[in-house]
This record gives sequence, C-alpha cells and structure tokens, in this order.
Amino acid sequence: MASAVAAQSEQTPAPVRRAPKSRTALMFIGLLVLAGLAALLSLFSLRFGSLPVTTREAWDAVFRYNVDSYEQTIVREMRVPRTIIAFFIGGGLAVAGTVMQGVTRNPLGDPSILGVSAGASFGVTTAIFLFGISTPAQFVWFAFPGAAVASVVVYSIASVGRGGPTPVRLALAGVVMSSLLGAWTSALLLMSEQTLDLVRFWSVGSVAGRNLSVLWTMMPFILPATLACLLMGHQLNVLSMGEESARALGMNTQRVRMISSGLVVILTGASVAVAGPIGFVGLATPHIVRSIVGADYRWILPYSFFTGAALLTTADTVGRVIARPSEIQVGVVMAFVGAPFLIALARRRTVAS
Amino acid sequence: MSYLATDNLAIAYDNHVVVDGMSLQITEGTITTIIGPNGCGKSTLLRALARILAPKQGTVLLQGQDIHAMSTTAVARNMGLLSQQAESPDRITVSELVARGRYPHQKFLQPLTKKDLDAVDKALDLADMTSLRDAAVDELSGGQRQRAWIAMLLAQETPLMMLDEPTTYLDVAHEIEVMQLVRRLNREEGRTIVMVLHDINQAASVSDRIIAMRDGRIVADGSPDDVVTIEVLSTLYGVHCDVYQHDHHMPRGRFCMPRSNSNCGACLFAPSRPGFAVSELQTGYGKRVISQDLSLTIPGGLVTAIIGPNACGKSTLLKTIGRLQKRAAGQILLDNTEVSKESHRKLARKLAMLGQGALIPDRLTVEDLVTAGRYPRQSVWQRCSLEDERMVEWALEKCRLLELRDIPVESLSGGQRQRAWFAMSIVQDTPTLLLDEPTTFLDISAQIDLLDIVWQLNRDHGKTIVMVLHDLNLAARYADYIIAMKDGRIAAQGLPTEVIVPEVMQAVYGIESSILTDQATGMPLMIPLRGM
Amino acid sequence: MTSFRQLSETRTFRTSWFSHRINLKVMMLIALAIAILILLMLWAITLGAVDLSIREVWNATWGDGDRKTLLVVRTLRWPRIATAVVIGMALAISGMLFQSIARNPLVSPDIIGINSGATVVAVAWLVIVRNTSQLPLAAFLGAILTAAIIYLLSWRNGASPDRMILVGIGVASMTQAVTALILVRFPLEQIRPAVVWTMGSIYGSTWRDVVITSLVVLVSLPFAILLMQPLRAMSLGDNVTRSLGIPLEMTRLGVILIGCALAAVSVAFAGPIGFVALMVPHMARMIAGPQSGGVLVFSGILGGIILLLSDTLALHFLPVVLPVGVVTGAIGAPYFLFLLYRSNSRM
Repeated sequence: MASAVAAQSEQTPAPVRRAPKSRTALMFIGLLVLAGLAALLSLFSLRFGSLPVTTREAWDAVFRYNVDSYEQTIVREMRVPRTIIAFFIGGGLAVAGTVMQGVTRNPLGDPSILGVSAGASFGVTTAIFLFGISTPAQFVWFAFPGAAVASVVVYSIASVGRGGPTPVRLALAGVVMSSLLGAWTSALLLMSEQTLDLVRFWSVGSVAGRNLSVLWTMMPFILPATLACLLMGHQLNVLSMGEESARALGMNTQRVRMISSGLVVILTGASVAVAGPIGFVGLATPHIVRSIVGADYRWILPYSFFTGAALLTTADTVGRVIARPSEIQVGVVMAFVGAPFLIALARRRTVAS
Repeated sequence: MSYLATDNLAIAYDNHVVVDGMSLQITEGTITTIIGPNGCGKSTLLRALARILAPKQGTVLLQGQDIHAMSTTAVARNMGLLSQQAESPDRITVSELVARGRYPHQKFLQPLTKKDLDAVDKALDLADMTSLRDAAVDELSGGQRQRAWIAMLLAQETPLMMLDEPTTYLDVAHEIEVMQLVRRLNREEGRTIVMVLHDINQAASVSDRIIAMRDGRIVADGSPDDVVTIEVLSTLYGVHCDVYQHDHHMPRGRFCMPRSNSNCGACLFAPSRPGFAVSELQTGYGKRVISQDLSLTIPGGLVTAIIGPNACGKSTLLKTIGRLQKRAAGQILLDNTEVSKESHRKLARKLAMLGQGALIPDRLTVEDLVTAGRYPRQSVWQRCSLEDERMVEWALEKCRLLELRDIPVESLSGGQRQRAWFAMSIVQDTPTLLLDEPTTFLDISAQIDLLDIVWQLNRDHGKTIVMVLHDLNLAARYADYIIAMKDGRIAAQGLPTEVIVPEVMQAVYGIESSILTDQATGMPLMIPLRGM
Repeated sequence: MTSFRQLSETRTFRTSWFSHRINLKVMMLIALAIAILILLMLWAITLGAVDLSIREVWNATWGDGDRKTLLVVRTLRWPRIATAVVIGMALAISGMLFQSIARNPLVSPDIIGINSGATVVAVAWLVIVRNTSQLPLAAFLGAILTAAIIYLLSWRNGASPDRMILVGIGVASMTQAVTALILVRFPLEQIRPAVVWTMGSIYGSTWRDVVITSLVVLVSLPFAILLMQPLRAMSLGDNVTRSLGIPLEMTRLGVILIGCALAAVSVAFAGPIGFVALMVPHMARMIAGPQSGGVLVFSGILGGIILLLSDTLALHFLPVVLPVGVVTGAIGAPYFLFLLYRSNSRM
C-alpha cells in the first residue's frame, strides 16, 4: 500500500525546491544586509541634495559638527531630520501596508483602503482652517482623530450584518469615505486662501523642512506601533490561511483584526501628519518582499520595514537631486515609482478583486 | 466512550433553521461520515461541532465540557478542522504550512521548539509528504495539496480531526489517495475522524459509521451496511438506488448507483451527422501548451462523454472546440464547417455551451436568465418574437422550471440553479450542446435529474451532446461514446463497454478497479479497489 | 407568486417585423422623472438675485420681457440649468455603462482614471498656458488620451475590466501627482482658478456648452440603449457571453468608447464632478429594477435631476456659494455609505 502511494507521487512529480541547510541563518543574514543597505542609502540622503556638499563635510556634520560651516549646518539641521523621518515613515508605512494586506487578505490592501489617509488629511485641513496651525508637530494631534474616526466608521459599516468585514466591503466603504472627506476638504480649501496655501504643500507628500521637534512628537507613536506590528507575524501567518482555518486553530480572529487595524491607524495617522499622504510604499513593498522572502510574515514584516525605509529615503534623495536647485516632493516621486509597479502587477496576473 | 457529543443542537441563520434538535455522540477512535443531499445542513453541523458557528440552542460537549465555555486554544488542542474554505497563502511551502498547525501549542512570540519541529516532521511523515516538504503548495497536484493540508491538521496533534468535503474537485485516483490517508490515520494512529462527504460510495468504503441527514435532521445513523440501503437512500435523496454488495472484492462493502427515470443505457451506434472532426489541434493558455497534435472525431447526434484525471486537458479541449478559448494550431470542423470561419452569432446558433464559473447578477429571475439565451436569435427589432416565447416556455417546461420562473436565480438550490443554466443553453435551440462538468456539486438525485434531461434532448431531438463528466459510472450510463484523456492525449475511446474496463482505468487513473454490471441499464459499473 | 408577476408588469408589443417587451413600471417611472425634472427646472430658474415669477420666466424664455429679464433668463440661467441637466445625464449614463461592463458597483469614470487625466491637462492649461477659451477642448483631449492609455496598458489577450480598474488607479495616481506638483510650483493667485476647476463646477455655462454636450449625449444615447441588451447577457460572465455569440471585445470597446465620450465631455465642461456617476446608477437600479435600456434612460434623467438639485442647492441655499462637485460629494457620499450600511445589515 505504501508503495502504491509512492508510485502515485512519482507519476505526478512536483518540482522539489531544495532548502538551504539553515534557512533561518540565511534569512537573518539577508535581513542584516538589507538593514545595512537601508543605512547606506540614508547616508546618501545626507550627502546628496540641492546644495552640493562633499562627502567629508557630510561625514563631519554628523560626527564632528562644526557650527560655523554653512554646509555642515544644512546637513545637520535640514538633512538629518528629514532623512530620519523618511526612514521611519517609509518603514512604518510599509509595515502598515503589510499588515493590511495580511489582515484583509487583499493583494491591493493599503492604508488608504480604510480611508485612513483621507481621514488624517481631513483632520489636518480642518485644524488649519479653524485654528490656523501651521507646523507638522501640531498636525499630529488632528491627524490621529481624523484617521481614527474615518477608519472606525469604515470598519463599522463594513462589519454590520452577517459575514463581517470582507475585503470587498472594506474597500467599498474606504473608497466612499475617502471621496466624502475629499469633498469636505475641498469645501474648506475653497473658503480660505491661507488654508489652501498650506495644505497644497502638505498634501503633495513631502518630508522637506521637517525639524527634529516633529521627530520627537511622532516617534512615541511610530516606534511602538511598528514594533507591535513586527510582533504580529505569527498571527498574520495563521490568519492568511483563511478565516475558518484560523478560527479552527484557536485564534480569536476578531481580536487580532481589531488590534492590527488599530496599529495601522496609528502608523498611518502619524505618517500622514508628518509627511502628508504618501502612497504606494504600503502597497508595493509587501509585494516586492513576498516575492523574495516567501510566505512567512515573521520575516516579511522586518524585511518590509527596511525595504520601505530604503525606498522612501531613496525617493526623497532622488527628488532632491533631479530638480536642482529646487526639489520634487517625495510623494510625487513615489507615485512615479509606484504606479508603474501597480500597472505591472495588474498586467502580470489576475489579482482577485 | 463518547469523545464529542451534542445535546439537542439547533443552528439557524437569521430565522432559517438549518440544523434542528440534533443529539449525537461521536465515539473515540472511529471514522464517522455525514452524508446527505445539498442543503441538508451537513457542513453547518460540522462547523458547529468545530466551534466555528455558535448554536442557537443546545450544546456541543467535548469530553463532557461545553466547547463554548472552553478557551479557543483548549478546543483547538483537542480538535482540528480542515475547512472547505481553506486557502493556501502565496508561495508557501509544505513544511511552512504544516508548521502553522502548531499555533494552538505555541505561546505568543514563542519560536518553534524542538517539540513543534518533531510534530511537523511526524505529520509530514504520516501524510507521506516528507519528500515534498520544501515544495510550494501552489505547484502540487490536487491530491498532494489536500494531503499537505491534512498534514497541517496532523501537526495540530488533536485526537479528533474533522474534514469538510476533503475530496471535492479531486479525481478518482486522488480521492483514493486522500481516503487511504484518512483510513491509515484512524487505524494506525487512533485518531477519531468526522467527515462530511459528498459521495455515498466513498463514505461507505471508509467509514465505521454513517450519519445520513436531510433537512437538518438525522434520517439514518449506523454502519455502512445499515445506511447504504435502498430504503434509506430513497428517503434521503428521493431516488431509487440499486445497492451492490461486493463481498469477494477488497474492501468488502456496499456500493450504490441511483436509478434513472429515462430508459438510458441502450447505446446508439450510428452517428446521424458528421459531428466534430478535430485534427492536429494544439490547445493551451498563452505559452502553456496543454494538448498537442490532438486528432479526434466526436460523432454527431450521439451523447459523447470526455473523462480523465484532473488537469488532463478535457475541459480545455471542450472550451477550444466550442471556441470559448483560442486554439494555438489545428483544425476544428463542426458538421463539415470550420468553426473559426463562422461569425460569433452564427456559431452561437449552431452550438451552445454550458460552462463553469458563470456569475449570477442580483435579482435576475429564472425567466430572465433563460430568455438571455435567445440572444443569438434576436435582432435589434425582434427582441421578443413568438418563437422566442415558445422556446422559453419549452425550455422551462423541459427543465421543470415553470413553477420557479419568477424566482431570483440566487435563491435557488444548487440543482435548480444548474437546471436554470441548462435551460438557458437549450433555449439557444442549437443542434449541438457542449456541457462542462454539469453535475459538479450536485447530489445524486439532482445529477440524475439533469442527465435525464440531457438524454431526452439527444434521443427526442437528435442533438449532439458532448460533455465532460467527473463520474465515470454516470458517463458509462448516459454516453454512447466515451473519450478518455490523460496528459493532454487521448488514452482510449470507444463504446462505454470498451472504455470502462480495468486496463483503461489503470492506464488513465492508475487505479485498480473491478467492473460490475449496472442492474438498471446493463452498462459497466466501475468500483475502485481502494486497497485499504 | 402571482403578486411577483404583477410587480414587474411587462407588455409585449409585436408586429411582423417588430417585437419588444416593455416594462410598464420602468416606462411610468421615466415619465414621472421627466415631469419632475421639468418642474424642477422651472422652479430653479425663478431662483436667484433677480426675483422672477414662473410667468415672467416663461415669457422671457420665448423672447418676451424687458432686456434685463431676457439677459438673466436666456443668457445666464437657462444655459446653466440646461448644462446641469445634460451633464448629470451624461455622468449617470456613463456610470451605468462602466458599472455593467466591469460587473462591479464601485466602478465609475472617476475611479477608472479618466477624470484625473482631464484634470492634469486642464490644470496645466489654466496655470501654465493661462487660457480659458480652449479649456474644454484641452480637458476633453486629456480625458480621451488617458482613457486610451489605460485601455492600451490593460490590453493583454483582451482588456479585462478588473485589469482596467487597477491600471486606471495607477495612471490616476501618476496624473494626480503631476497635478499636485503643478499646484505647488506656481504662486497662489495663479493656481486658484485651477483649484476651483478641480472641484467641478458649472459657473458661467454658455449655450455653446449646452449644444455640444447635448449633441454628444443625443448621439451616444441610442448606442448605449442598444448595447444594454448584450450587456445584460455579459453580466452572466465571459464564458456565457462568448457562448451566446456576443463579440466580447468589440462590445466592450463600444461600451468603453461611449462611456468615455460621455465622461470626457462632462469633465471637459464641468470639471470632475464626483459621485453622480457612481451613485445615480445605484439609485436607478434600486428604484426601477435590474439593468435594461429603460433603466438606463431612467438613470440618465435621475442624473439630471440630482445634478440640477445639487447645483441649485450650491448656488442658492448654502451660506457660501460652493462648486456643485463639492455638494454632490458631501451629500452623495453619506447617502452612499448609508446604502452600504443597509445592504450589509440586510445580508
């Protein structure tokens, strides 16, 4: 009988991929290399920009700071904060996108799906309109409630009735919510010229001119939320096998969904507050990472973090270099990198809607 | 002793009661199978047993404890479920999938321990998947994929395993592969197994106990010999079945075959029209070639069945000759005319195709659906001619849908829905009909129902019928001519008595079989020897 | 069972060369909607800074009245109201076409990327070229060009609707990025008209606008109605469509061409007005039943009513005058969310 089964599998041989002797070690080394690459790209971000700076000056600005040097001051005061911000926002958005895709089991999952970005934008615009605030550090406090309220509304509309929040329902409610908030934001912009002037710079998505105080305001949100997301790998692994299988394995799927959605809201809200809505990092990164790492979210998540960080830092550097002496905002650069990616993704295979 | 028990269990969706007052005990170390017609509540019951659904009334007791009072982890350590809706994540390997079954034994953030790894190895070994442990699940054959999922369940190390229709979509060889594994897990590992199965004969071959359900209640409960009887099957499905007792074969047991209402089984030998003449056909999707240099003749005016294992290219062949799919090379003649030379509309007046994967728009009534089939016969001005109306009435009557004509298609049962789609195909009023697995997901009475109509259309109206069928015994009964395919090639063709023979079964499916004679029709009846 | 039949009462008209089945309920709804639309137009035209009675309006329409009244009625109010109605129709019809071809209730020209293509060209035109006279033409070309790019990029053994949606989202985000880039690169007073345009408005419509838009709608409508028959069969899936002898790609291309022409002409003259194309077809189907030629016409008229109502609201009943696009978005979206909530909770 055993021979009969063996004969069966011989008749239909499946391609056998030989595993490396120690996959874990290999993956760990890969992660270190990726982290090193991200760090290197961040250093490039210090070195290149609209003002020509030598490598030496950039180095000194970080390690042997001389206040009298104009170049070093530029590096220290302008480039260091924006690089750090780009690094963490890129990583945070990528992790948020990965979690969204895992939880909704939707290959097009993106933080903007829950209407999170639109909610944050609306919150910030309202605050600029009503209270005349103007710095990203102040934006944070209005971006969060906006993001949270939008996603709670979207989530609750999608989850009423039998079947719960399916990917399609979430997407539908998210798109509608985004349009609704977009219309209201437009109305505000029309009524106030000053608001329009501020919002247009913020809404294009940029990390320019953010100083360290912004960094300190957002870090308490982004760092813990990112860390918490990185720890969700095990749960996402099980959830990706289907709702019923996950529940049969003893998982409280409702609770996992709630927690992870909350983390996504925090990450997206904080990122939007600081840098405005930046698309595609959350969408593209998980796909790139999955094609390299495989299906294990415990590896996908940290890989996504560093890939997203590297991607956004590089996009920011590129935007500064190609349009010297002015610069192209990172949101625009990301759209031009990400959109072809999305189109290629759409062309390559049928993505289940 | 009873491991799992229910006490007066009732389950309802909204106010629609699906399972009604069910009390049963599952004994440790047995294989229990739940069977019944479509919509009888068998899958719902299984999901309630596995704590996926909350009952409306009554309790599910696991070793005397209410499962809803236990923690989810505690339940998951004692019983596992292989859901029908299980999805394998992209690019996952077999061993990764199996390792996920360790979830209930792991603590938050705890990496796989030695014990977990051992459990994974053991599960892979039991499921005979060790040699494929690093293969991607997407690239496995259907039977291997199902075995990988069962290994996942094994890694959960639960004394009780529940499987929801683990053999859907599988051909007869893969079915045997999975059933052998289930049997072995029970006999050698002492696992208690509860399954929902579609196929009565499969259930009879593997189970210690069969629970037959209808309308949310138990109709019969007992050993296969008690349940697979003419009386029980007739109350269960509403059709008369012939039951065969085969003692001299291995395994000994019972085998049933439903009776048809038409007097099918008498083969016609003379084609009344040329039918299809296919030469040097190459089929495939894009760069992927499925069949090459395929030449065959499908007789006109007869019923032809195409059979073969999963992925042998039978559906692709059918779609290609029906021009639903582009051919890569070759010639297809239908009644002496090249198919590709016809306009879309003209071809649609010559052949109709009932395919799979059709969509059902909201609020579409049966009559609307059937009327849509008249499209190729209508013009801008003639949208509702007397002929259209007459044909729609005829098709509705033929498929026994007159009563249901104003009901939205979405609220029909599986069998009724399939009849509605079939009515849409016949209302096209074409001399040729192509049917792609028309009986999938239907229970035996609905299968017989549909195929009886197909039979009448051929015998009374002389239509050429070409169908891909899953069930070999139905193919033998209803077809005049059978084409058996394997790996994109034709392995055998001829009369049912020539094709349904042990040698061909061995060559096409790689299974041992024994051929009986169908009492109702005198046609061959294939019983796979499951070697358990 | 009989009550169900009475509900969807149909009559069959049949002669030797002609036979059609007419759904009486839909016909009555269309008549009702037309009546409401006419009343609404008459009412809307009396509103405004100059108070006019219906009689004065009526006379002035036919050239009877003092010069001021004539100017207000014939040059200012009628063109605007007519534009609102025609654009509303164009949007609703194009939305219905796109939704039935994609078999997805979420799809509308704004989501498929056509509007953003028109927007980027129009914004560039307003900000860089600073010319308003050829603006509709520029926007129209932008829309058509974007649609063509999306169609070509999604072509791979045929242009599947799912692929078109995704490619559309991709193209839209690129063009949106360019729009945003233009908006931050120029001084505020230069970009202001462009920002107003991007919100969708029908300020200062002229008779020329009305003539061109209604010409496009009138030419497209018969084709759209004819296409509803194959579209009905197409809602059953690609395989069924092919086996019924419907040339799938040709029909799709036809629907896309007509839908794009309608969407492009409306965005050209009114800017991107959100939600009408998405929402009105839903409302129409909810009131009148599953898609058919009659329901398409009904949806068009409903679109006219909705846009005219929104414009009237935006112009006369709000503390500040807003572009009509803001009103349709701000009112339409909550309604849509409510619909979604109800349909979810019913399941």
